[in-house]
This record gives sequence, structure tokens and C-alpha cells, in this order.
Amino acid sequence: MRTSLKFALLLTPVLALAQQTVAPTADEATGPARGENAGSYNIVQSWELGYRFATIGGDDGKYRSDVNYGNGIRLLSSFLTVNSRDGHGHWFDEITLTTQGLGNDPYESATLRIQKNRLYRYDMLWRSNDYFNPGLTVANGEHLEDTTFRTQDHELTLLPQNWFRVRAGYSRTTQSGPALTTEQEFDSLGDVFPLFRDLREQYNEYRLGADVTLKGFRFSVMHRWEYFKEDTTDNLTATLQGTSVPFGGGPTDPSSLSTFSRAQPYRGRTPAWLANLYAERKWLAVNGRFTYAGGRGDFIQNETAIGIDRFGSSQNQQIIVTGNGDRPVVTGDLNITVFPSSRISVINVTSISNTRITGNNEYEQFSNATLSAQDLNFQFLGVRLITNATDLRYRLSKRLSFFGGFRYSDRLIQSTEDLATPGSPFDGTSAQQTNILRSGVAGFNWMPIKDLTIHAEGGIGRNNNPFTPVSLRNNSLINTRGQYRKRTYSLTAGYQENYNNNSISITAYSSHARTWNGDVSWHAKSWLTLDTSYSKLHLDTAGGLAFFAGTPRATLMTTPESIYVSNIHSGNLGARMPITKRADIYIGYNITKDTGDGRASLAVQPTAIAQVFYNVQTFPLTYQTPLVRLSVQITPKLRYNVGYQYYGYHEDFGVLGYNQSYRANTGYTSLLWSF
Amino acid sequence: MGPHKFWTWTCALALPLLVLVLVRAQATPKTPNHYVGSETCKTCHPDVNLNFYKNPHYKSIASGKEPPEKTGCEGCHGPGGDHVAARGGKATIGAFSNFTAQQTLDTCLGCHSKDMSRAGIRNSPHTEADVVCTSCHSIHKPATPKFLLAKQQKDLCYTCHASERAQFNMPSKHRVNEGVIQCTDCHNPHGSVTASATNSGNMGANSAMLAPAFDNEEPCLKCHVDKRGPFVFEHASVRVEGCEGCHVPHGSTNAKMLKRPVVFTLCLECHNGAGTFGRQNTGVFTTPSTHNMLDPKYQQCTLCHVRIHGSNSDPTFLR
Repeated sequence: MRTSLKFALLLTPVLALAQQTVAPTADEATGPARGENAGSYNIVQSWELGYRFATIGGDDGKYRSDVNYGNGIRLLSSFLTVNSRDGHGHWFDEITLTTQGLGNDPYESATLRIQKNRLYRYDMLWRSNDYFNPGLTVANGEHLEDTTFRTQDHELTLLPQNWFRVRAGYSRTTQSGPALTTEQEFDSLGDVFPLFRDLREQYNEYRLGADVTLKGFRFSVMHRWEYFKEDTTDNLTATLQGTSVPFGGGPTDPSSLSTFSRAQPYRGRTPAWLANLYAERKWLAVNGRFTYAGGRGDFIQNETAIGIDRFGSSQNQQIIVTGNGDRPVVTGDLNITVFPSSRISVINVTSISNTRITGNNEYEQFSNATLSAQDLNFQFLGVRLITNATDLRYRLSKRLSFFGGFRYSDRLIQSTEDLATPGSPFDGTSAQQTNILRSGVAGFNWMPIKDLTIHAEGGIGRNNNPFTPVSLRNNSLINTRGQYRKRTYSLTAGYQENYNNNSISITAYSSHARTWNGDVSWHAKSWLTLDTSYSKLHLDTAGGLAFFAGTPRATLMTTPESIYVSNIHSGNLGARMPITKRADIYIGYNITKDTGDGRASLAVQPTAIAQVFYNVQTFPLTYQTPLVRLSVQITPKLRYNVGYQYYGYHEDFGVLGYNQSYRANTGYTSLLWSF
Repeated sequence: MGPHKFWTWTCALALPLLVLVLVRAQATPKTPNHYVGSETCKTCHPDVNLNFYKNPHYKSIASGKEPPEKTGCEGCHGPGGDHVAARGGKATIGAFSNFTAQQTLDTCLGCHSKDMSRAGIRNSPHTEADVVCTSCHSIHKPATPKFLLAKQQKDLCYTCHASERAQFNMPSKHRVNEGVIQCTDCHNPHGSVTASATNSGNMGANSAMLAPAFDNEEPCLKCHVDKRGPFVFEHASVRVEGCEGCHVPHGSTNAKMLKRPVVFTLCLECHNGAGTFGRQNTGVFTTPSTHNMLDPKYQQCTLCHVRIHGSNSDPTFLR
């Protein structure tokens, strides 16, 4: 019993530092749990039951998107371990269960492990995430989502310590809930109509495989069956007039939508194989891996829309789309590591992947119950990537080592696009391109004095034909980190710089990111800890544009260019200290402050279009979350906890006329039983 | 006495001494180190021993069938005969605090190379930076019963990855601090088994130790299964360059973890028609002349292009 207590007390300082949100998080026993022996088992458990509250002012939608804690009773956290004391339990030797937020928190999870030595091991993971997004800045709030995302994973290994192992697994992911979407009907220049969406997605995966270890070789094989289905439906809840939506032809646009329904069931399946061969000798380690996945999706879409277009004409339109998409993916990897001496390692990794995506659909649009169009679309996209990376590592002494590497990637992209009516000859557009990337990296690890480690590396890359204007072309990186680490404290500092210049004759894109960070961590005693860090993340990018704008008629413009500057200062503080013999307090503070490019206000620009781009060149804001938590020991097995956390979000300018600032007072009280 | 005589006398005296030392050394050969068993270890290390039955490594003791070099304390620390004879001391036992990174790795992989997830550990950036097993795992004082981590996982990663910590503290982020997602959901700290995700913008130049989806896709698709397709009409940049083309994977000050605060600059930075970019080598096509960027409607690209990650119905992702 006393040793269990000691064990738990040893955990306490790191557990305290781990708590950054006002709620305890998974795997954390906030009190000194004492183990109890029951027969041949030892049991350690803690259960924290409490009430959470939240009051929100300002933009509630943004709060729910960022934080989302609400009111109510929850099982804030729980922790249970059962261990056999001799390693020969009857049915099991270990049970480990952790839960978080069960009841009504937006973030709930549970993990479970049950195992019996040498016979089986079962791992389970379950998570639920309430997802809320107002979508203001991407769709003016017309793409609001209020869904629940749940995932679970089960993995069973038979004979886990044997030369022959069997593995079976099952995973399931679902997302469901109400949402909004938008639909543009009748005319690409007319109004956009918001629609109610009943989101229903489900993914199931079954796995079965085995590992065989013979004479130092380990061979693994696994087969997987994956199924995805979506039965989301979009519906109109009421007749919408053109003037009732914010965008489109303007107040005089007579567009309206009186009837709309859309169903687009999708069924996807991906049977897949994986094979892996691994061997390690004194001077050589080899890992070969092969996968094949034959993804296929079948779908049908039926859409009916009745209303009035922007010219005032009645419309009765039905769209039927059928088709399928196929994506066979083959990959192969071969890793070879050679150790010619104890000081030198040579590593070569060769990877090949080939993805071929073919899709075709038949698109039929009926207008006023009369067939007016029938199109057949075909698309193909193939990506073949060959990568070879070679690294050399040399340890000069126990305190100094060097490394360097060269990577070569060759990517072939093939594309075909066609749009035709059924029966007409193929007249699609085909193209292909090759992107070759060469990059090198070099650096060292140095321990100039005991407990001080310095890591530094630099790299450079050249891509002859990047795929997009914002892809890597001429890029370089610098990464350094120093850490001084003693038993009770550590000091860390780092600097990272990434630069990319994708410049061509007509337009140019460049990005420059620099990050500085420092961290101080101090564990003076188990009940006195301090952890603080600061990071500055700087990013500036400039990209050339070409778009249409102007009044009364839009013309092609290549100015202004797209500029984005952010200077984010991020600070983090966490401290735990006793205030009496029975009570301790934890104080934390996180702040994220983007000072942007330093402008104090949005200046008036000479032209309207310059104003549009000027306003979004930077997005200064402040997001801070101070918290305090008090924990009082009532009895050796019972603690009372109370916590408070403030969330303050403030945008200096807002985006596109929106200001989503909010402030929230959240907290909880709880009782923690530890046995 | 001249220098010549000095050296003669010195050699004459030193040579017999040297022979004596050599003979003595041969006469009393050093006793080879030997295994003493975990029962012996607990005599001086009861604090380690008493809770060791909760440790996953205990199963090698419980089995009772493992050879001495693969069980108990000496399974990791090597034979303890000299250590016992010397009455302790780090110099006489395999103390991990004295090990080089390579020694630590070799010792642990002696048993732990069986797992497929560790197949890439030799070539991982962690190993390259001398971050090896004991940098993250604490065998005798773990903070987590599973995986024996020295701290909670996120705090462990934050120890070195401070900029990622800053990103996870931002308003729009993956819920790592809230405990609903973990770093290892997307990354394999033991090193990626593949050089690259097939749809990664860096084309394998830096694996970032991703734990790719089954067929080497970006790990994002393990959860965001609706973005996976296959779609009849793929947004080529998504499939070729990956999610990072538009999103910041850890956290951002922008909604939906986008790289820009508004969507139109994000789209227009690619759709500018310049150069030989895009799937047809003719530049990524510009927006049509009907899209007057002064009209707020056209500043919200995804208002109409609702299926921006890929569509089965419309090449321009309208439905």
C-alpha cells in the first residue's frame, strides 16, 4: 500500500503540469490514488464527478467553435488499473481504463486495455467530439455545422509475445447532425439559397492479420475491409425569395426557390492488403513494406428544384447524376540501414507509390420536365511518386555526432479531362508533367557540457516544376535547439526558419516563416512546480494574383498582390503550489497574440479593390485563457476541486465586416474519490 | 651519468617490472561478468522492485521461461555480477544514463523491434537528433501506465516542440490540449515507415514522422473520412499536394485552421493562371470574368463551390 502511494506521489508533479484546460484530462489522477490489494490483484482507481458551468458573452458561435464547454454534471475523469501481482491472473493480468468528460462534455473519450500475459491483448479507444462551426469567414455563416463526430477503435492481438501473432481490429467513425449548406440554382450569376442539411456519414473498417517471426525475420500481413457511406440529404425548409439571401443579383433579383430536395447516397469500399518484412542483424536492418488498396465509390444524386430564376421565369429542374470513382493505390517501401561500425550508420529509404484515380459520371439535367441536356464527364488523375533518401550519421565521440542526407523525389502526374455527350467521340484534354525535387540536409548533435545538448540542422531543396504556385520550389530551412536538463529543471531554447521562393516570370510567391521559442520547467518538489514557455511565430507571404474586378464591368487585374503577415506571440504558464497542508492551487495562463503587421487601424486605400485585399493582409487578435484550480483534501480518499477558466477572444479589425470577439467564464466543482 | 646510461639503467629496471605485471595479469584472469537474477537486485533496489509487477516488462519475469539476458533487471541493464561485486556503482552495470543514444536504441530494440510501428526507428528524425527511447519513456517512473511515458504525451512532445504547443493553444486547432486527440494519432514518434505520404507537398523530402493512413495517404484522412473519396472530380491540389496546401494542421488563428483569414486570398494565390502550374501545365486557371471580386458573393468562394475537397457530380465542385 505504501509503495503504491509512493508511486502515485511520484506521478503528481507531472500530472499537475499536464493540466492546461480547466477540466482534468485523460490519464490524469488528480489526487494521490492508493492501490488496494484484492486477492492476487492490485487496484488503483480514481473517479472525479463534478458540475461544469459556462457563461458566454459576445459571439456565442465563435465560442462554441473554439471552446464549447457548457453546463451540466459530468464524470470529469476516471482512472482504473487492475494488475495481477504475480503476472499469472486467471482471466487477465492488466486492466487499464481511463475516461474523460463522460456525460455531457463536448470532448469525451475512453481508453481501455485488457491483457493476459502471452495470451491476448485488447485495446479500445472511444472518442466523441461535438463540432460546432459557424463558418462565418468562409461562407457568411451559411455553412454552419453542429455535428457530433465519434470514433472508436478496437484492436485484439492474440499471443502477443509469441513468434506467431494474430491481430484483428475494427474501427468505426461517424459524423452526424444538422448543418447548413448553400446551393446555386438555375443560373451561376443568380442568388445562392441556404439549405438545411442532415449530415450522416459512417465509416467502418475491419482488419485481420498475422505476424510471424522466424530466424530474426519478421513477416507481417494484414487484410483490411473498409466501407464508407454517406446518406446526407439537403432540403428546403421554406420558400426562399431572392432578396432573403445576402448575395446574388441584389435586392432586385426576383429569384426564389419554392421546392428543393436532394439525395446523394454514396457507397465506398476499399479492400486492401499490407505486407511487411523486417530483419535486423548486428550490422544491418532491413524493412520492406508493400500495400495495395483498391478504393471504389458508387453514387447517385437526385436533385429537384422548383422556383423562379433571376429573369423572373419559372423553373422546374431536375438533375440526376450517376457514376463511380475508382482509386487503386500501390505503394512499396524499402528501408535499409547499414552499420559498418559502431560510429557510422548509413540509411537508405526508397519509396514508390502509384495512385490512379478514374472517375466518370453521367450528368442529366431536365428542365420543365423536358430533357435539355445530357453530359458525360470523365476524369483521370494519376500520381506516381518515387522517393529515395540516403542519410549518413557519424558519431565522432560520445558527445558529438554529425549527420547529413540527400533526398531525391520524382513525381509523375498524368491528367485527363473530358466533357462530352454520350456516344460522341472522346475529345478530352490529356497532359502529364514531372516534378523532380532534390534536397539536402546536414547537422550535428553536440553535448558541450554534461546535461546540455545542442541540435542544429540546415536544409535546402530545389523543385524543378512545382505543382501549384504556393508549392515548394526554392526552399531552405534552419532548425536549432538547445536544452539544459537537470533532474529538477530544464531550460530549452530553439529557432526555426523556413523560406520558400516560388518565383516565375509572371508572378511570384514567397513565404518566410521564423519561429523562436523558449521553455523553462522547474520541479522543485512534488508539490511545487513551474512550467513556462514563450514562442514567437512569424510568417510573411507574398503571392501574385490575377482576378476580375471593377465597376461597371469587371476587368482582369494583376494588382494588388496577396500579402499576409502574422506575428504571433504565444505564452504559456503553469504553476502548482501548496497553500495549506491539505490544499494546493494550480495557476495557469495561455495567451496567443497576433500583432499582425503592426498597423493600428485599417487605413483607407485609393481604390475599392485595393481596400478589399488590404483589409485581409493581416488579422491581429488576442486569445487568452487564464485559469486557477484549487484542490482540497477532505479525507485521505476524497478531494474537493474547484476550477475557473476565462476565455477571452478579441479581434482587432474583424474579417469581412465580422467581429467574432467573445468572453467566457467557465469553471467546475468536483469531488474526486481515489482508492 | 650521460643520457645514454640513464636510458640503459631505466630500461634494465623497468623491463623486469613490466614482465612481472604481465605475468601477474595472466596468472589472475579477470572473472567474466555473470547474471545474478532479479532477486539479487531487489536487495539494494527495493523501491524499483516492489511496484515492478505493474510494469509491462514484468511479463518477462512472470513467464519464468526467458533466458537471463532477456528477463528482469538484467534483461535491460546487462549482467550484474560485477555490479554486485563492486557493491554498486554505475560503472559496473548498464546504466542508461551512461549510454549513448545508439546504445540505448540497440538495447531496447533487442526486444522491441518486433512491432511494425517501430520499423522506421533507425531512420527517424528523432534518432537523428539523438532523441531515443529513454528521452520519452520512463521505465521505472512512468506517468502513464500504457507506453510508460515520462509525461503525459502532449507535454512530452511540447518539451521540444514548443511552436506546436503554441499552435495548439490557438483558437482554431485540433483538440490536443482538451484530450480528445493525441500527437500519435497523426505522427509516429518512432519514425515513419514510408518516405512520404503519397499526397504530401514535400514529396518525401521530409516525412515529419507522419503515421500515414493505410495506403500511405496523409493521416488527416484517418478521421476526415468524408474527404477521402475517391471522387469523380478530385480537387487536384488536395490529392497531389495534400491538406497543408490550405490548412495548418496543428492550429491557427484563422477559422477552420486555414492558412489565411479569408478564403478568397487562399484560392486566388493558386488560381492566378501563371506559369506552368496545374494539372494541364498551363497554370491554375483564373476565376472567370463573371466573378467580380468587388461583389461580396465572389469573395466567399466556398459559398458556391461547396464540395471543394472533391465532388462526384460537378467538375467545379458546385454540388
